[in-house]
Parts: sequence; C-alpha cells; structure tokens
Amino acid sequence: MSLSSDISFPALTLLIFLPTAGALAMLLFMRGRPRAYKTTALVTSLVVFALAVYLAARFRTGTAAFQFQEQADWIAKLGISYHLGVDGISLVLILLTALLSVLAILGSWNSIKDRTLAFFISLLILETGMIGVFAAMDLFLFYVFWEVQLIPMYFIIGLWGGARRVYAAVKFFLYTFAGSVLMLVAIIAVVWWNRKNGGSLTFDILTLQQVGFPTGLAAWSFAAFFIAFAIKVPMFPVHTWLPDAHTEAPTAGSVILAGVLLKMGTYGMIRFCIGFFPEIAVRAILPVLILSVIAVIYGAAMSLVQPDMKRLVAYSSVSHMGFVTLGLFAFNQQGVEGSILQMVSHGILTGALFMMVGFFYDRTHTRLIADYGGMARPMPVAAAFFSLFVLGSLGLPGLSGFVGEFLILVGTFQYAKVFAALASIGIVLGAAYLLWMYQRTMFQQANEKWLTLKDLGAREIITLVPLVVMAVWIGVYPHTFLNMLHAPVDNILSQVQPYLDEQGGAVARLVGSLFGGF
Amino acid sequence: MKASDLVAVIPELVLLVAACAVLLVEAFSKKDSGEPLGVGRKYWAVGLALLGTLGSVVASLVLLPGESRVTFNSTFVLDEWGIFFNVLFGVAATLAVLMSPAYLQVHRRHLGEYYALLLFTLIGMDLLAGARDFIVFYVALELMAISSYLLAAFFRYRLRSNESALKYFLTGSFASAVLLYGISLVYGQAGATDYWTVGKALGMQGSSAGVLLAVFLVGVGLAFKVSAAPFHMWTPDVYQGAPTPVTAFFSVGPKAAAFSVFISAFIFAFGGAAKDWSVFFIVLAIATMLVGNSVALVQTNVKRMLAYSSIAHAGYMLAGLAAVGWKQDVFPAMGVLVYLAAYTFMNLGAFGILGHLKTQAPSDFDYSLSKLAGLGRRSPWTALLFSLFLISLTGIPGTAGFIGKFWVFSGVVMADLWWLAIIAVLLSAVAAYFYLRVIIYMFFREPEASEPEKVLSARPLSGGMAVAMVVCAVATVIIGVLPARLWDAVTEVFGTFFG
Repeated sequence: MSLSSDISFPALTLLIFLPTAGALAMLLFMRGRPRAYKTTALVTSLVVFALAVYLAARFRTGTAAFQFQEQADWIAKLGISYHLGVDGISLVLILLTALLSVLAILGSWNSIKDRTLAFFISLLILETGMIGVFAAMDLFLFYVFWEVQLIPMYFIIGLWGGARRVYAAVKFFLYTFAGSVLMLVAIIAVVWWNRKNGGSLTFDILTLQQVGFPTGLAAWSFAAFFIAFAIKVPMFPVHTWLPDAHTEAPTAGSVILAGVLLKMGTYGMIRFCIGFFPEIAVRAILPVLILSVIAVIYGAAMSLVQPDMKRLVAYSSVSHMGFVTLGLFAFNQQGVEGSILQMVSHGILTGALFMMVGFFYDRTHTRLIADYGGMARPMPVAAAFFSLFVLGSLGLPGLSGFVGEFLILVGTFQYAKVFAALASIGIVLGAAYLLWMYQRTMFQQANEKWLTLKDLGAREIITLVPLVVMAVWIGVYPHTFLNMLHAPVDNILSQVQPYLDEQGGAVARLVGSLFGGF
Repeated sequence: MKASDLVAVIPELVLLVAACAVLLVEAFSKKDSGEPLGVGRKYWAVGLALLGTLGSVVASLVLLPGESRVTFNSTFVLDEWGIFFNVLFGVAATLAVLMSPAYLQVHRRHLGEYYALLLFTLIGMDLLAGARDFIVFYVALELMAISSYLLAAFFRYRLRSNESALKYFLTGSFASAVLLYGISLVYGQAGATDYWTVGKALGMQGSSAGVLLAVFLVGVGLAFKVSAAPFHMWTPDVYQGAPTPVTAFFSVGPKAAAFSVFISAFIFAFGGAAKDWSVFFIVLAIATMLVGNSVALVQTNVKRMLAYSSIAHAGYMLAGLAAVGWKQDVFPAMGVLVYLAAYTFMNLGAFGILGHLKTQAPSDFDYSLSKLAGLGRRSPWTALLFSLFLISLTGIPGTAGFIGKFWVFSGVVMADLWWLAIIAVLLSAVAAYFYLRVIIYMFFREPEASEPEKVLSARPLSGGMAVAMVVCAVATVIIGVLPARLWDAVTEVFGTFFG
C-alpha cells in the first residue's frame, strides 16, 4: 500500500475499519457481557472520533487536493483500487459521522433491551460503511460502501424499530437499492466509455473527473446518479420512505439516518453529479431548484400537521434538505458552502431533536404531541435543551441552523430571487411548526401522568452537551469549518463556471420569463 | 482412438471407476440387520463418492495443460476451459455429496445408488463442457439428463418426487428431441458435426433461413436445460419435488453445464450467425428475468421461491450471452463464467440450509415462510448463514453475487446494450424484496403463539453439512471481497479457449 507524504500511518483505513474490528471483538469475546461490549463499542467510537479530530488538526486548509491518501491494488485487471483520501468536504462529514456515532451509542445505552449486542455491532458496522463512503476515491469502492451500509441500517430499523418497523425497513431498503442499482449501470457506462475512448481502464474518481463525457452519455449517467442520490437526500417526490423510516427507527437509528445517511446523498451529488457532469448539472439547475423549493415548502407544511413528534421532525428533514439542494445548485460560493454547512448543522440539530424525542419516549412511551403538555415542569433541564435545539433548527441567529440557511438564501437570491423568496416561506413555516410543537409539549396544560417523571440524567446530558457545543460553535464561529470548505468549493465552482457562462444566461432568462418581474 | 487420447478423459474415468465401485460395494454389502432397508451410515458409499469427485478435481488440476489436449478425432478437448468446468462441477458435486447423508437418512432412503447417479450426472457434465462435436455433446447431455431424472425420482414412494421426475422426464425428452432435430439440420447443412467444421460451413452461408432454424432449435433445446422462460415450466415443480440436496445440485450443476455449451457451441459452431442468436438471447433473457423475479415475488414456499430465483439468475447470465453475440466480443462470456462460479456457491448454500432445516423436522417443515418465523432467535448461526446466501443472491457488494452481477452487467453495458442492463438491475432490485422477506421472517417475526410445539428450531450444523456450508460461505465472501484470482483464472481460460 502506498501512503501519501502527509501522514505516516494508514489513518483513513484505521478510521474505516476500527469500528469493524471493535464489532468483531465484541462478537467473539464478549457475548453475554453487556457492560464489556457496550464499553468496547463506546471506546471504539471514541477512538475513531479522536482520530478524526487528529486528522482535522493535521489537515492543510487552502488546498483542494485530497490528503492522507492511501492506495493499493484491489482488482488490478479492471483498474479497481483501494484508494482513500479526503478533502475539506469529506473531512467535515467524517467528523460529523464520528461524532454522531459516539452519541448514538451513548444515547441508546439503556434504551435497547433486546439483542443488545447485535444492536451495537450493527451501529459499528454502519459507521464503517458511512466513513468509507466519504473517504473512497475509487468509484467501485464507493459503491461497495454505499451498499454495505444498507444492511446494518435495515436491521436497525427492522429489529429494534417501532410498531410498523418491518414495513419501514423494507421500504427504506427497496427505495435505496433501486436507486443505487441504476447508479451501478451509470458507473459501468462512464468507466467503459473512458476506456473505449482512449483512457485507461480505471475507476479512480479523480481521473474520471478529468474526462469530458459526451453530452448524451453524460445526461443519462447524470440522471442515474441523480436519482440514486435524490432518493437518499431525499428530494420530493421520492421522499416517501423517509417519514416511515425515521419514525419507526429506534432513536439511534433516526439520529444516524437523519444525521449522516441523508448527507451521503448530497455528498454524492457534489462529488459525482457535479464533479463528473458539470455541463449537465448546469442544465439541470431549473428542475432541481423547483424540486428543492417544493421540498422546502411541502416538508414544512407536512410538519405543521403531524400529530407525532418524531414524524414532525422527520418531515422537517425533507424541508431542511431541500435547502441543501437549493444552495448546491445555486452554484456560487455562498450557496454551495452554505449547503455543506447546512448538511452538518442539520445533522447536529435534527440528530439532537431525535435524541430528545427518544429521551421523552423512553419515559412516556408515546410520541403523540397530544399526550404531552407541561413537560417543562417535571423536566426543566430537558425543556431547556429542547428549546435550544428547536430554536437552532428554526434558524435563530447565533446557532448553526441560521448560518447555513442564511448563506443558502444569499446564494440563491443572487441567482434567482423568486426561489429565495419561496424558500423563505419554508423558514417561516419552520418557526411555526417547531414553536407550536414546543408550546404544546413543554408548556400548556400539564398532563397529570408526567408530573412525577425524572429529569434528564447525567448520561443523557453528556450525550446532548457536544451537540449544543457544535450548534453554538458553528453558529458563532463558522469560520473553522468554512475554512476547510473554501478550496474544494472553489475547485468545484471553477469546473462549473464555463458552463454557467454559457448556459446560465439562458436559465436566468427562462426563470425571468416564467416568474415575471422578480 | 489412441491410448494417449485417454489422458484427456482421466477425470471422467476416475468418476466412472468411483461410480462403479459405489454400485459394487452397495450390491455386496450386508444389509444392516434390524434396520429398515436403506437406512445406514453408508460410510463406504459416501467415501467413494467423495474420492471420485475430489479425484476428478485433482486429476483435472494435475492435467492443467500447457497446450490443449485435442482428442478422439478432435471431438473432445481438455483445455483450460474444460478444466475450469471440471473443477467447478467437481466442487459442486462434492458439496452436494456432503449435504446428502443426513437428509437421506432422515428420509430413510440412504442408498448407495444415489451417489452413483450423482457421479454419472457429473460425468455427463464434464463431457459436456469438453465436447467439441455435436454428437459428443448430445450423448453427454443425455447421460447427464437421464441420471438427473433418476435422481429427481429418488424418493419413489413420495408423490411429489414422482411428479417431479415425470415432469422432468417428459419436458426433458421433448427438449432433447427438439435439440436433436436442430443438430440434424446442422449436419444436413454443414455435412459435419464437429464445431469447427460446422462453424466454417455455416459461416459461409451467413444467416440463411436454414441456419437460423437450426440455431433456433438447438437454442430452444438448451433453453429448456437452463430453465429459461418460456421453457421454464418444469423447473419449480421439479425443484420443489426433488430431494433438497438434489435440487441444490440441479440448480447449479446441470444448469452451468448447459451454459458451458451455450458458450462453446454458439461461439464456435454458430459464430457466423452471432448477431441473430444475440437477438434470440435478448428476448430469452428479458422473458426469463421478468418471469423468474415476478413469480418469485408471490411465493410463500421458500424452496419454490428459490426455484424461481434460480430462473431469474439464468436470465442475468443469458443477458451476458446476448452481449457476447451483439458485439462478437467474449468479455461478457468471461463475466458469465464468474457468475456461474459465484452462483454455484451461494445457491448451493441457500438450498443446503433448507436441506438442513428439513432434516431437523422432516414431517413438519414444509419449506413455508411462516415456519421460519423467529429462527434468528432460536438458531442464530443457521439464520445468519442463510442471510449471507440470500444477501449474496440479492447482489449486495462484499458477496460473490455482486461480483458476478457486476461483471456480467459490465459486459452488457460494454456491448452497448445498456438498456438491457437497466432492465436487469431494476429487476434485481425487485428481487431484493423476496430475498429480504425470508430475512424478515427469520429475524423480525415471531412464530404464532397458538402452536408453540410446532416451532421449528435447528440444531447447529454438524458433519458433512457443516463442512459444505462453511465452504459455501467462505467462498461467497472470498469471491466477494477478493475476486482478482477468480478473474485471472477466467481470463486464462479464455486465453487458451480462443488463442
């Protein structure tokens, strides 16, 4: 294996496979000893997180180059290699993954009673798949990790989920699988086209990004990649798996689903849809923006009428992820950086909201808003945390949600005012459904049943504090993260720019003629 | 015939000796007193059968030639192609033998003839892969087929087994007749029966009506054997009715043998009409994938579901064959070989687990889905292994099934048949549903509380069955994670095959 010069040990391999090693150790040596295997799971995920932080500290900002690269032959005859590396975008997402994995394990410490060992093993294997997706620099390797994480998630929903868990698990699996097999055909198509037209036979992502694919092939392949990623994000109208999966999954599953898995979709769009086919991406701006705005408003409107807290948060994800795709396809510095920051912020805040709902559910065994009321009296600490996350999620300045959404709106406004205006309806609705939910659950008439409930314990508070820290950090000083993003985002925009100059005018005119004087 | 010709058929001779030895030992061995007919440990028969199957594998590997051994007036060739299939078939048969004793004993039909028949089938398959002449091809096919009919009928006191065998026999002989008619047309037009001469003679005629008819009839005959739709009708009934280890073997062995002829005969003898048979294969592939996957969706009997699933898998491989003809490029055929190897292990594994479950509750377990409810809790290892095979059949990366699909579909896309690849992958997404459903029952459902005494629970795997399942599981994972060696082997096969 060859390592790049900026690191002396295979850090990314460790990052990816430490969780698997931990899971194996738990399976082989710790069956029937809950304390031992839970501790091992926690320690493993902590080590992974520490390693990720170490890499972030060693990371050189100001360059779009991939760092900490590792390369080894895998299936040499087909040009498939085990090639890892990270740029600012993937590193930020890996940090998010590592953090949420720790918190997911900590958060489900006592709430999983049945087949506990299998649950923690699934979480660790899932972590391997997620980090692998973000670190892969070979298309084949990327696809392998992309699919592999389906299996543990399928079991997490199906085994430890709520009442309709089997339905939700199957729906989740089939939606994603159908999308990704289409992507597989597109992967094969672009690789073979490159081979036939003088290129070498390779699945290397960087090499393929340099190839200019002909418009016909690019359009079809873009469509296939885009469908696969749009299902994952999820964009309207392929979002219908999400409310079921998020609602039925156990707390840790919802946290990981909303926090990380959705981001794999938008990450894929950045890396492949835009990276491989910038020309088509520019042509697709208008439909993508329209679908994004629909998702923003529709998701928010659906949230408004949900009687179930978890389902409400789930639909709010559709709305918030709509912002991400909106900013991404605005193709300017603010829009794209804002959407990546929003990915992280959404992971933290929505993860936190699911965590909170989980803590309430552990005590009351109901998720219906109508069953709650006056929770602030028995659980003041929980109410305080909850208010912070609710406010962050609705975009209060000073918390992370604001920075991302603000940048996205600024970016979109420069490009197409009407879409920015429509999207801000989503923010208004967001304030409405979140505050209304908060009011109905925490204040108002207290439900007699809950007056004796215990407030959050030390473990639960420890789980939430890192999320608060992150929300405030990004909200107050986003520079730390934006700094990592500048160079790779510039790089992407420079690929898109020629086509924007060519096509952008046309799209802007079209938008103008469609929406009049805006 | 020269004495040196015999060198090329040493693997088959080993099998023949072993088969005869099994029959003789069976005839002269004393019946266990006090036990009903057919029950006994049969160490001798099992041992000799294993000696035969493994012997043929070893003999093939030892014969691994620098040059091809063209023998019997160039009607039979042992080259790396033949050796690849000898090894594949030998391993499949070995695994089937290992799975059988427990199953046969539980059903009180543990007879030596069973192993002899299995060996005879194997001889037919080996000869089929090495055949370079339509007469040898036909004789080998019949040897394989007739032994298979008998195997299907092995539980002759059971109605289902009888039905299975009769259906197999009737449709099989009909297919053979069609095939033979096709071969006679070939001979009529080419004046020869060996592939090369036929290839040259037919190549000069281009795609005349006579050639097309001949190719079509041979194709239909073989389509029966690989259970391609619309010639698949016999498959579910035969697979369901036959003893499970036999079904496991049928679903991989004879099917792979028929595919080997599909490739060799169609490329060598019918190469001139490649574009035409490619269209035939495209139609066949689409119909087969569609029928296999959609009918499997509604099955509640797992054995029958796996039968339809094996039809669907034949469809994916037929898509690969279509791509071979479409651009006259052998790359997709290499993918088919990889697929066959991957499919052999995962499918044997899946049927093997069913066989194991059947031995746990012979009268109670009817292969229905509901009986599997909660198996994951009661027998976690068995359920996990079964899940591994099902996940591989679905085609999830990290398992052999994905590697097979990846290579075949790569070939299909490379031949500019990307729309066929899209149909194939979408149908394989449909397939995920019925494979997952088995996992759902095993892990996510609990058995009906009303009949607690009827709950199926499996003892841990043991003996030959354990060895077979571990081999299948390890092979499934290794092909999935480190496929480079298999790929090298397949590349070499094609190097000499067309060199």
